Amino acid sequence: MTKEYRTLHTTVNLPYELAFGATLTRFFDGLSAEKILGTRCPKCSRVLVPARSFCPRCFIDLDDWVEVGQTGTVETWSLVSYEYIGMAKTPPYITGLIRLDGADVSFTHLIGGIDMSSIDQVQSRLAIGTRVKAVWATEKPGSIFDIEYFVPI
Amino acid sequence: MSGRVGIVAAAESSPAITQDNMMDAVYKVTKELLNKVGIDRDDVGTIVTAASDVFHSGISCANSYYWEASGGFLKNASRQDGDSLFAFLYGCLRVLSGHFETAMVIALTKGSENPENDTVTSLYADPFYHRPLGINETTAAALQMRQYMERYGITAEQCALVTVKNLRNALFNPYAHIRKSVTVDEVLNSKATADPLTTLQCAPKSDGMVAVLLAAEDTAKALTDHPVWFRGYGSAMDTYTLGDRDLLRGTLPQAAQAAYTMARLEKPSEEVDVAEISEPYGFQELLWCEQLGLCAEGKGGRLIDSGTTHLDGRLPVNPSGGVLATNPYVARGLYRVAEAYWQITGKAGEHQVKKSVHTALAHSTHGFAGQSHTVVILGD
Amino acid sequence: MGRAVAIMGTGQTHHGKRFDVSYPELVREAVQRAFEDSGLSPEDVDAVVTGTMPSMMEGIALNHLYLADAIQVVGKPLLKTETCGSTGMSVAHTAFYWVAAGLADVVLAVGFEKMYEGDSQATMTTVADPWIQRSFVAGAPGIFAMQSNMWIDRHHIPAERLREAAAVISLRNHDDAFDNPYAHIKARISLEEIKDSRIVTYPIRRWDVCPNSDGACAVLFMSEHKAKQMANPPAWIKGVGYRGDESYLGDSDKVRWNTAIDAAKEAYHQAGIVNPRRELDVAEVYNPFTFMELLLYECFGFCDFGEACDLALQGTFSRGGDLPCDPSGGVLCTNPIGATGLIRVAEAAMQVTGKAGAHQVDGAQLALAHAMGGVSQFNGIMIVGSQQ
Repeated sequence: MTKEYRTLHTTVNLPYELAFGATLTRFFDGLSAEKILGTRCPKCSRVLVPARSFCPRCFIDLDDWVEVGQTGTVETWSLVSYEYIGMAKTPPYITGLIRLDGADVSFTHLIGGIDMSSIDQVQSRLAIGTRVKAVWATEKPGSIFDIEYFVPI
Repeated sequence: MSGRVGIVAAAESSPAITQDNMMDAVYKVTKELLNKVGIDRDDVGTIVTAASDVFHSGISCANSYYWEASGGFLKNASRQDGDSLFAFLYGCLRVLSGHFETAMVIALTKGSENPENDTVTSLYADPFYHRPLGINETTAAALQMRQYMERYGITAEQCALVTVKNLRNALFNPYAHIRKSVTVDEVLNSKATADPLTTLQCAPKSDGMVAVLLAAEDTAKALTDHPVWFRGYGSAMDTYTLGDRDLLRGTLPQAAQAAYTMARLEKPSEEVDVAEISEPYGFQELLWCEQLGLCAEGKGGRLIDSGTTHLDGRLPVNPSGGVLATNPYVARGLYRVAEAYWQITGKAGEHQVKKSVHTALAHSTHGFAGQSHTVVILGD
Repeated sequence: MGRAVAIMGTGQTHHGKRFDVSYPELVREAVQRAFEDSGLSPEDVDAVVTGTMPSMMEGIALNHLYLADAIQVVGKPLLKTETCGSTGMSVAHTAFYWVAAGLADVVLAVGFEKMYEGDSQATMTTVADPWIQRSFVAGAPGIFAMQSNMWIDRHHIPAERLREAAAVISLRNHDDAFDNPYAHIKARISLEEIKDSRIVTYPIRRWDVCPNSDGACAVLFMSEHKAKQMANPPAWIKGVGYRGDESYLGDSDKVRWNTAIDAAKEAYHQAGIVNPRRELDVAEVYNPFTFMELLLYECFGFCDFGEACDLALQGTFSRGGDLPCDPSGGVLCTNPIGATGLIRVAEAAMQVTGKAGAHQVDGAQLALAHAMGGVSQFNGIMIVGSQQ
């Protein structure tokens, strides 16, 4: 069917400048120095990573800073192979939840350093329960990609 | 709570990708609803719409644009963002408060005008941590799915069966968007999106406008011989940070329990006659069935294998074809309500289930791996 | 009509440029202060209502997901009410109806915005439809300048008198803001500076315009039986009203602006108010532009049409006058949009419970809160009183 009516092609593209605030600033400064920092809740005793200024459950201020391990255990993962406009990473890449040693919650990051050409290749190196460690980027400006990815040990 | 509130009528837009301008499309579904009841805009007490800016063709403050098209001129109306079951509740609240006799609830998404769903859902993520890592609803669901399969031994075939069942149901629903018959193999062999998810296990991007008219008890009885009553509501949000959550123990059980308690259902798996459950990712129908108490924990795979949830089963789930067949993102929750309404009133046509329906469940979800869940119980 | 509803506790952030905190931290600051003010804790809350300006404002969509912990909604039901500029008021209305309907006893209402993080006028331009109006409207100042000019023309207001009255409104708000510890703009300016400030969109000048603010506000709504168990006196909701008109600016008369007139009438009727200027003790009118404040006085029946300039110059709407308006310094000095309407409600509740501190209007018992939004379309009202 031919189009009877016209359509308007438009994009909305706006600039933003977003505040990290004190806690995330310190967390990302930590990444620049190759440290992964969390905060411990004095009430429920959980160590939360990334560091938080308040405990989401107890709703109290947190300022007990702890450095957690750079190694951890994969809780779940996905090989991402589809694309969409505005995508943060170019596929294929593996996203995962990693329970870092010393933390009570899981850390979201990429899993890399392995052959991603097929799901079989990936599964030969990666499963729930696989131990991984952080691989630091050469340039560390204080962003989530100061850690390039986590690699299976 | 003073008295009851009932659904008097429902209207859905045609499933074809429309060339109508958004405003005209909203007007059409609103007008169709009013015509079905045989009332004018002037007879409507209040209006609550559901639309999100990001799913609203790039027009911010969505209801500013379609205000008059939804019948709102010089009316006390409002809007809910993100989930149209929120709008359904707010319409009920406005009637139950005694301030309004009737409320029109309208949900609208014109998916064909929007960016891809995940271009938008990636904007749910905070910009510092999850967003740069590529977290969106699909990648989060993939993480959840792998855990679900591993923890309970749910197979890929069982997950794929959800798509097979729901798309088969959609063949009987003239309002469904995706209407084709598929096999388990076709589902599993469709292009991988975020492993273990494949394209056919991820909901499409659809146009969809849906409207229901709510009324206080006496007015509802005066306007229709078959009112369907709002009997229960439960909703619960989970914490935001993905790594803080147990993705298989979310807040759906809590939301469901609240709805069941309000509706006085003691054994939902026996008392619910039909369920319309939002399953933007196929496996989620199985997981949500477990968390809704419609089967035991870890038994979602066995539930679909047994045929229980098929159109002619003991507890049909998504006879409409569900979200896998039709996914007008924000409107999908109210589609569940409209479909439940039609099943109870016996007006579902070819996809009417093969049993009598007195109690129906409608569910919606949005956010990463089901961060928000809402459950509505309707009954005659 | 429904159950009686009370406000029991309010909290505001220190509004301004808040790059010291992330978005969730900003929101939590207001939520915590509301709990402190009310003596309640998160466990007491049955449900949460929240809202902001559209996603384009901060670049985060469906931000109730990201902010779920900050608004303490985990494990609880949420409603996300958004109606553009009037969002904060609509959030308050939602909390009101939820309690009035009997499905919740304690509802936390939270509004917020972090406007320094995005481009507010670019965002607001996207409110206008992309086919017709978007190419022409110059953000909010453009729309409200057109409306102000219609009002000036209709009432044949002499240019000099208009400039004088607008300047008096601006000066009053900016002076009052010094008595509000949470206000954003604290500027000592003279009447002459205001009158001679640069033109933004004629007739609107620099000091006729509200700022962009980062800020949040939280208000706790309660059922009658719960409120009566509390030690502190509540503010009772006496009336609510809301109206909207078309998205095309030219479709409706914006001088005798029916959405403002009818929204106020709906609320007055419920509150039993016949003569608002005499019966109301204080009003928090949503005044992002001085001219809009004047125009709205007329629509709300604070004075006759065409009278607002004269009465403003006589001090009728200043502290000590018949009906003090915006003793908080108003939107003109503080404008985190998603919070702004809710701040009006919080300020009205603070006034009738004697908690407004240095900007308290002595003996205030009945207060009006207002917000507007859309492409100059929506008006919402909430009236609160010290007596049930």
